[in-house]
Amino acid sequence: MRAPRILFWLVTAALVLGPLAAAAQQAGTPPEAKDKAQVEAAAAPAAPAQEAKPAPAPPAAKKPAPKAEVKRTEPIVPAYTGIKEKTAVIVFFVWLWFAIGVLIYFLRQWIKESDRIYWAKYYEPEESPRKDNPMAPTLGD
Amino acid sequence: MRIDNAYFTRRKFLNSLLGGWLGAVAATFITPIVKFVWPPYKEPDEVKLVFADFSGMKPGEVKNFAWGVKPGILKRAADGSFIAMVGVCTHLDCNVTWQPDKKQFFCACHEGYYDEEGKNVAGPPPKPLRRLEASVEGEDLFVRKPGAGAKA
Amino acid sequence: MKIKIDMKKFAAWFDDRLALTPIFKYMTHKEVPQHEHSFWYYTGSSILLFLAIQIVTGIMLALYYQPTLEGATASIERIMTELPLGWLVRSVHSWGATFMIAFVMVHLLAIWFTKSYRKPREATWMTGMMLLVVSMMFGFTGYLLPWDDLSLAATKVGTNIPVAIPVVGKWVTQFLRGGDDVTGDTLTRFFIFHVCVMPLILFAILAIHVLLVQKEGMSIPLKDELAKKKVPSLPFWPNFVLREVVIWLVLFGVFMTIALAFAPSLGPTADLLAPAPEGVKPEWYFLFLFQTLKIFPANMGPVTGEFVAVLIIVITIVIIFFLPFIDNKPEGKKGKIFQYLGIIGVIYAIVFSIWSLL
Repeated sequence: MRAPRILFWLVTAALVLGPLAAAAQQAGTPPEAKDKAQVEAAAAPAAPAQEAKPAPAPPAAKKPAPKAEVKRTEPIVPAYTGIKEKTAVIVFFVWLWFAIGVLIYFLRQWIKESDRIYWAKYYEPEESPRKDNPMAPTLGD
Repeated sequence: MRIDNAYFTRRKFLNSLLGGWLGAVAATFITPIVKFVWPPYKEPDEVKLVFADFSGMKPGEVKNFAWGVKPGILKRAADGSFIAMVGVCTHLDCNVTWQPDKKQFFCACHEGYYDEEGKNVAGPPPKPLRRLEASVEGEDLFVRKPGAGAKA
Repeated sequence: MKIKIDMKKFAAWFDDRLALTPIFKYMTHKEVPQHEHSFWYYTGSSILLFLAIQIVTGIMLALYYQPTLEGATASIERIMTELPLGWLVRSVHSWGATFMIAFVMVHLLAIWFTKSYRKPREATWMTGMMLLVVSMMFGFTGYLLPWDDLSLAATKVGTNIPVAIPVVGKWVTQFLRGGDDVTGDTLTRFFIFHVCVMPLILFAILAIHVLLVQKEGMSIPLKDELAKKKVPSLPFWPNFVLREVVIWLVLFGVFMTIALAFAPSLGPTADLLAPAPEGVKPEWYFLFLFQTLKIFPANMGPVTGEFVAVLIIVITIVIIFFLPFIDNKPEGKKGKIFQYLGIIGVIYAIVFSIWSLL
């Protein structure tokens, strides 16, 4: 039957493109660091305008005066930066379990087939009940 | 419709279903791993400097500043404006040095020479030093990528 | 121009030089017995699944982690906040440690209660015990690496315990700490243990363990062996492997769900001079040992309570290590005693773990 094959390809395409789209949406928006007491710039991937001090003649840019060693006193708790990220994670979670479900479905079919082959002694034609049958398929199928 | 003696057996169909699906699953797990292992390092779009540090420059004088993690070069032109360049050799990414007596930039790695405008004049460098736009706005000196335009 | 690649020729080329075909042939004939307890056969490969996850996420984290006093916690901050899905990689690695050690314990208990350590599998049991110690050392060294206040305190306590051992205790502690105190040297040292030394040791012992399992075959329950019953079996490849993959998928799904939902946070930077924070405790797999240490009084006659506790723990571990030789008549009354001891051990571990949290 043709229908299941078309259905399979449609479903696979949707399920491959779906999470890729979600991942693209989520690109680069990590959980925020809550309550950090620190001198350094906050952890945004965008390029902020930087304060830079000029250096004397040597070509390598010299770092500014050593930053004060301020230790972080607050914990960093992972949290979502926005609804987009939260949605992406939920979509991933749903897709993960769906993919696992589909894989397990296929694996069960495969397990059943390999069990059937084993019990029918497919690979040991001498012991198989089909040993007198000249039409029985041989290895190499 | 049943096809007798087909080459494409049920077993092959099942195997290809599973294999294809496994491939799709693997791809979506490999993608975040790849994104993590190859994160992009972006150059800054603009850098804000304190103009007071550079206002005393004489025409023809060259000073360095930090363009992200690369050295930036600021040169005062004869009319008082600033020329900004990225001080990285266009050959193989070594940092260049300014030789004021010879009025040229010199890359020690493979003996590349650039004139005072940054144009490659001798040695292996294929292109001139990359230009940036410098503009003075009040107390700040902004250096931007060319074409970025002045921000309010 | 079409180039035809004949896989058979490839295989023949390799076989000519490496002669691995007998190994493959042996593996294809491996059979897995099917009986009422064959479900526990899955525990071993589950450990391998989590080990693989740990190695992959460990490498990913190590790309950005800086094992120095100044850079450790800042680099983890960066991983968690700047890098794409860095928080998830860290969460997977952290939860992977928990799952892997949990399955190691489940595997140990399964072998204990089915008495699979009996002859001829004594060496498998002993290498397994060594792997248990190595896994817990992985957990211990990894726990310090974030260098936040809790992990520093836990490491101080943990590396102080060997001091109770007479004669060599102090040297052991100095070796672990890189000196007398926990410092930045300790951090770098633990990092190298975690990333280089222990993996090498792990792979060496694991290889022996897995080889022994293949050579001895899978064990069957004691009563079937005594009755000389012919237990039906399945071929390892492909039947059992496919079933294993199903189990792996389910475990992976549960694991990812937990890692997504309960990502760990990062405490304040460790301060070597600050007092210990509230609620300092080691990872869950050390809790029962922690509590055992706590219940002994500070001084017991001429020795410290800690010394007695460490002595008892070490003696117990040695007894468990040599269990196959102690429980050499598993079918008799002695065997039954060890079953009960196992149950008592599990109850003790659970009760003491919960007690240490109260």
